[in-house]
Amino acid sequence: MRNTDSAIAAHDVSARFGRVALFEGLTLTVAPGESLAIVGPNGSGKSTLLEILAGLRRPTAGRVLFTAGGDDDARTDRSRIGFMGPRVEPYPDLTGMENLLFAARGGSSRERAAALMERFALRPHRDKLTRHYSSGMRQRLKLAIALVNDPPALFLDEPGAMLDEAGRALLRAEIDARRAERIIVMATNDADEAALCSRRTALG
Amino acid sequence: MTPTRPRSAPGGPRLGELAKNIRKDLTVEFRNRYALSVALAFAAVATIAASIALAGTVPAPRVQSALLWIVVFFAAMNGLAHAFVREEEQGTALFLRLHATPHTVLTAKLVFNIALLAAIETVAIPLFVVFLQLEVRALHSFVAIAAVGCLCLACAVTVLGAMVARAGGRGALFTVIAFPVVIPALWVLIGATARSLERPGPFDSGSVLFLLAFSGAMAGVSYLLFEHIWEE
Repeated sequence: MRNTDSAIAAHDVSARFGRVALFEGLTLTVAPGESLAIVGPNGSGKSTLLEILAGLRRPTAGRVLFTAGGDDDARTDRSRIGFMGPRVEPYPDLTGMENLLFAARGGSSRERAAALMERFALRPHRDKLTRHYSSGMRQRLKLAIALVNDPPALFLDEPGAMLDEAGRALLRAEIDARRAERIIVMATNDADEAALCSRRTALG
Repeated sequence: MTPTRPRSAPGGPRLGELAKNIRKDLTVEFRNRYALSVALAFAAVATIAASIALAGTVPAPRVQSALLWIVVFFAAMNGLAHAFVREEEQGTALFLRLHATPHTVLTAKLVFNIALLAAIETVAIPLFVVFLQLEVRALHSFVAIAAVGCLCLACAVTVLGAMVARAGGRGALFTVIAFPVVIPALWVLIGATARSLERPGPFDSGSVLFLLAFSGAMAGVSYLLFEHIWEE
């Protein structure tokens, strides 16, 4: 998949919950080859901004354009984004492999899913229901799900949470492998994770 | 300024994606059997309770018919709501929104709900035959009405399940919202079923056509509304 024609542009974006303004008038763009870390204290709106940029939540005001595959009117489909976050849970009554196959689109999905299970050290657990996964294994599976369609834009919310050292090394390797061509947007409180990104936006 | 955002692929569900969603819903249900076991238990308990209350007397066909559809309707309510409520409770709704188009999700849930209603009827009708001496005299009409009844109730309430789930509600709220919507269909279902119990007669095409039209109208409204309900 060519990714050089993908971009995210947020214009004057605000988010409010009732009378509480999380952020206001935020304008930013993220182009392929750029990675953006959204940092800030708890409750500052990092996850909300990430979901707004990914198109999973409407901003209170402002506009977000997501262009991909030459489609610049935001009618891009969600197979073009990979999203990983605490609010995106795999089905607890499906196995890890079944969850991955459910998310996979296009040809050779079984091979791609099997390769990801191998890469994330989940192969011995591929036929286990994810309700029996540990938190770290579930986090690895979530990352694999976000990557299974090799999307041009990757949105990661606290991706290193629950991961052990080997898991964090895998995460760094996956981000490194994609940084040059893909859009990566990450909400994090972890300084090491934020350092993986080329730019930062601080909230709060 | 109007916010725009990435959407699921436009257009109706693709067959492969639809099959994947239906398989997922059935697999999840088969593994925990929450909706089915509660629904079947309710149908069995309600039928046996009615039988005990009637103390061996055989109720009139219209009463049998009304009891049958009341048992099916209320047995189904918890399970029908659960199709969407479970997605919100388990945190899988966003996962589903990311990986399936809204119309695929609705179609898969509709198929699941039709299957659930069919399973409830498959258990409830023999229980009525045994415990309430249900005697079918116009078999073709009875079978057709029972089959269209599944379709009709599922089409009427599936999108309501999504609304209740998105509003953070639970099964009890779903029943209250669903009841007024299905009253016209229940009215016709009870009347047509009663006629098929009373005497042998010609196929009740009028009732079947009404129920099919009702199902079509409810499905149409559901497809028009669902994307807004699901994505907002």
